Amino acid sequence: MKFTLKPGSYDLYLMIITALTLVMMGLVCLYGIWVYSYTEQSDPFWTETALYEDYINSMNQLMYPFAVLLLIVLGLCIPKRIISKKQLLAAGAVLLGMTFIVERLTDINTSLEFLLGVSILLQTVVMILTILRQSGLKYESEGYFIRVGSSMLHLGVVVFIFDFVSMRSSIHHINIFWVATVLITAGTVLSFYSDKIRTCLISRRL
Amino acid sequence: MSYQEYLAARDVMSTLGQPVITAIFIISLTLGIISIYHILSGDKRAYRLAARLRKADTVLLIIGFLIITWFHLRIYQTIEVVYPSELSDHMQKNLGEHITSLKFAVPMWIEAEKLYFWTLCISIFLTISEPGYNDLKSGIITVFSSSLNIIFAVFAVFTYLLSNPFIEPLSGLHTEITQWYQLNVISDPDVIYQTLYQLYFRITYFYNSEYMWTHPPMLFIAYASLVVTFVGCVFMLLRTEVFFDKVSYNHAKVGYLLLTVGMLLGYPWAVAAWGESSWWWDPKVSGSIMMWVLYSAYLHLRIYSKYDSMRKATAILGILCFLSLVLTYLLTYIAPGIHAVSQ
Repeated sequence: MKFTLKPGSYDLYLMIITALTLVMMGLVCLYGIWVYSYTEQSDPFWTETALYEDYINSMNQLMYPFAVLLLIVLGLCIPKRIISKKQLLAAGAVLLGMTFIVERLTDINTSLEFLLGVSILLQTVVMILTILRQSGLKYESEGYFIRVGSSMLHLGVVVFIFDFVSMRSSIHHINIFWVATVLITAGTVLSFYSDKIRTCLISRRL
Repeated sequence: MSYQEYLAARDVMSTLGQPVITAIFIISLTLGIISIYHILSGDKRAYRLAARLRKADTVLLIIGFLIITWFHLRIYQTIEVVYPSELSDHMQKNLGEHITSLKFAVPMWIEAEKLYFWTLCISIFLTISEPGYNDLKSGIITVFSSSLNIIFAVFAVFTYLLSNPFIEPLSGLHTEITQWYQLNVISDPDVIYQTLYQLYFRITYFYNSEYMWTHPPMLFIAYASLVVTFVGCVFMLLRTEVFFDKVSYNHAKVGYLLLTVGMLLGYPWAVAAWGESSWWWDPKVSGSIMMWVLYSAYLHLRIYSKYDSMRKATAILGILCFLSLVLTYLLTYIAPGIHAVSQ
């Protein structure tokens, strides 16, 4: 895998924002562990009361801004392969603004669904273009398989979050889950082992 | 095949397994001491001896695992939970399942066997990786290898002291099997039906679940790989060498892939087994998400690891990731929730 990232570049900041967002999500989880354990100590049956629902809602609310930020950053990662950075940042800001407006007009879940819907659309377009070897796409790393893998992985993560947020009561919930799982697994394998896959394919052709 | 044969198999498992795990304990203690000596003195003979001891440990761990596997096979062969026809009809009506009898097809990584399996995976990872380290005859790399030996020895000693699968083999499952067997001398049909009904769910969604065969082993293999990443990250902080970064990253890739797939496989299992029960944001679920997002962050930062400052930042994050992994593992034992051992 060859990278062309430079310190102080747009991509470095994007990477740092992604990492920080993920770390913050980790801290929210740590807080959840503490709250759950602490509440259980004072009332062992609290999960059978309304307290548990309040806890779930508060955890979802705490996670919400970081989930939105992550989806925006993932969005900024992917379409930059199609459009310029300026256009990309503007689109990201518009998307964030629209998500905020939808949240004000409706609720957190609907705004997240809106953002997820747009993200799935974008990531799907990018994945198809990547598989079809569209020359207009710009990538941080070289190699066909790593490009395909990266786009599949990003799409899989977004589909998984969408499935979890919006489809939990649907009869297609588990089917969509398996689609996301296949995308994430195949995407991870292609991203991590693109060189080995390429070498393996070349040696077979020879 | 009968309960008596099952009890005999359980005795054989203990009798054969105890000397094996005791030998693992003694060899691991020696391995730990010799590895510490090698780090302090740089004596190459100690390093070579440690390598042999670890190989011996790996062989013994595999033998122990074969004994465990044999015992699980015997459980499958000897124990059959038979459902009376009235209860079978009742379950057919209510659950849509026609159950006449059930057997225990239990995987080899439940109860006290979990830590044993994790330790076995670590030993296999170290054995596979070792030739690579030996090729590079740098002193610091042999120190790295000895540090891995020490970590492995700690795991093996903890397994012997805290999670010995050969003392009281599968005590939880044994209690359930014994409880079922004792039903034969109870005449109250309500008690029999209630016990068998509960046992159906335990066998179907826990012991025999296909996810039990895939979700935990993937996570334990991932954990084993991530142990190497952790030690590599510690060495990266001490000495910024590309070798440690490469070893950490290569093992993180394997670990992350298995961690991701393993965690994902836990989701449909949770939906099927627990449904709408209170499992979401339970400490183990929160811990697993925490671990996954931290390792995702590690792999993202790793893209910049060609600069020293970023390598150090990545290494610190890699260490934090491992601490979250240990915490997530321990949550089953120390925190409440639907995943807790006490449940």
